Amino acid sequence: MNVLIVEDEKNLANEVAAYLKTEGYLCELAYTGKDASERIAVNAYDFVLLDIGLPDYNGLDLIVEARKNNNDVSFIIITARGTVDDKVRGLDLGADDYLAKPFALVELHSRLQAVARRKFQITNQIIALGEFVLDIQSRKVLFNGTEVDLTKKEHELLQYLVLNRNKVLTRQQLYEHIWGNILDDQYDSNFIDVHIKNIRKKMNVFAQVPWMETVRGIGYRVSLDN
Amino acid sequence: MVKLRTKLAFFNLLSKLVFTALFIAILPFIVERINIIQTDNELVQKREEVIELISEVGIEPFITQNTGNSFGSYNILKEEFINLEKIQLKDDWNFIEVSKRLIEDETIDYRVLNYSFKIDDQTYLLEIGKSLESIHHTQNNIKKVILVFLFSIIMITLFADFYYTRMILSPLDAIIRKLKKSSTPSHFDKTPVITSTSEFRQLDQILRKSMDEIDNLFQKEKEITVNISHELMTPISILRSKLENLLLQQNIENDVAEKIEESLRTLHRLQTLVKSLLLIAGIESEQYLKEDSFSIKDLLKEISDEIEPVAADAGIRIINKYEEDMMVTNANRSLVFSMIYNVVNNSVKNTSSGGEIILRCGNYEGKFEITISDTGKGMTQDEIDVLFLRFKKKLDPQKESTGIGMAITKSIADFHKIDISVTSNPGKGTKISFFLPENS
Repeated sequence: MNVLIVEDEKNLANEVAAYLKTEGYLCELAYTGKDASERIAVNAYDFVLLDIGLPDYNGLDLIVEARKNNNDVSFIIITARGTVDDKVRGLDLGADDYLAKPFALVELHSRLQAVARRKFQITNQIIALGEFVLDIQSRKVLFNGTEVDLTKKEHELLQYLVLNRNKVLTRQQLYEHIWGNILDDQYDSNFIDVHIKNIRKKMNVFAQVPWMETVRGIGYRVSLDN
Repeated sequence: MVKLRTKLAFFNLLSKLVFTALFIAILPFIVERINIIQTDNELVQKREEVIELISEVGIEPFITQNTGNSFGSYNILKEEFINLEKIQLKDDWNFIEVSKRLIEDETIDYRVLNYSFKIDDQTYLLEIGKSLESIHHTQNNIKKVILVFLFSIIMITLFADFYYTRMILSPLDAIIRKLKKSSTPSHFDKTPVITSTSEFRQLDQILRKSMDEIDNLFQKEKEITVNISHELMTPISILRSKLENLLLQQNIENDVAEKIEESLRTLHRLQTLVKSLLLIAGIESEQYLKEDSFSIKDLLKEISDEIEPVAADAGIRIINKYEEDMMVTNANRSLVFSMIYNVVNNSVKNTSSGGEIILRCGNYEGKFEITISDTGKGMTQDEIDVLFLRFKKKLDPQKESTGIGMAITKSIADFHKIDISVTSNPGKGTKISFFLPENS
């Protein structure tokens, strides 16, 4: 998938691009609003990562321009000014999602995936987890057709690990994904440990979960072959 | 405390009462003195008339052979008498005294003028008397009139004083009302108070000016916080992405990975601090909307469910005692959630295995109250005093807390006009209550 990264901080833009490339995206960079405007008009992108705090341009105008030209590219707004106002205005103008700086790269990836699922209407996403299956759409984990009774938070946690499979996620990244924003200040690594412990306990009733790994000193990883 | 107006009215009343009491106490003497002087003047005047009459017609018409040595005359009610008699005296008499006289079997006290004069070597004594009873009678009449007059004057001036002070002090009341109404300097009502009293006008002007200045300083402080925070977000973002990319690389040594994770953790703490400061600044400058309506019971249930797994893991029981529900309107649900959640989470952190946390809500003493009580380690008064202040707590370096959670709780409570009370016993536990205002 093609992504245009519109970000005046070259350092940040390059890091985001480096990460997205490892996830298989094709990335282009625009450091100014003018450059971005031209590129969006000419090229067909699937996503535009848009920092709305550009020195030469009101980032939100790029969305207005694109929509005027019947361009249905998905915009993900990124801002350092995490005000409610920015968020509401951006989403009103037709942005698909919103991320406040600083964000986790894995979080960005999972947002892009979610937008893609909506956009391309991918409905039956079923992932095999050893002897279990995870149905992303219906938010269920099944063992031979029997549902494992996970809470909403446990399910979100497991799904996030699965969608970012084969990568170690830190406790902060996991916490932010689930309790992000408003409960930031209450971060406690213990929260994640407790929930992982409970997920394991509930699944172990059916079968062992060797694919759910604890990476000492760093975090957790779901290791799958596919 | 006593109101200024009441104090003034009380002083007015008191000073008038003292004045009146004094006046009433000396009134009889004054009236008596005036009356006696008046009576004596009358007696002297009558004496002059009698002497004039005698010098015109001689003594003979009064004292004849028939009348003996004296002449007497009194009016029907015995209020006055005149007596003339021959007498032997060494000195000349001319004085006024009080003496008893027997007239027709009746002893009456009189004020009597005694005057001696000589006609043809014969000394005569003229006595002119006025009954004391009649004098007292006039005295009493005068007293009554004075008292009624005095009482009316006092009542009238008292009410006049009371209404006048009330009117003249009303600008002061208006200023106090304005101050009471404004919880922060930015809420201070800037319309001038209408008054013709220069002191009040000055007071009002100075207050408005100071409020403006304080408000400006607050705004500046907030702006600085917001600007610095935003400026910090971009470098944090860059560092974070770089470190995350490093961590995602295959084939890195585990000890390097651990170091990177540690750096990320430190960076996360910085990020949390900056975000918390922004959150507080945002709440204080009222950037958050208050448009949600929600049930307190549902909110508490959600918080309890959220925290339950962690509490259970730590061996702490969470007990829900929801006695009554309240539908809150015009509030920000996620902020109120955060406000209560922070307190409950704090309780979990400070309670050891086997302890309990009770979440309670209901109407007590006319106010809707949410109470979180725990059997945790409790706090000393010094710790309670700094509980809601930013960066004032001594932090446990082993814990990941930024120590700003309770400051956030306080600013959210202020934003919603919710009162908080904290009671705590070291070693026994802590109880924190939120008192909700009535829905507006």
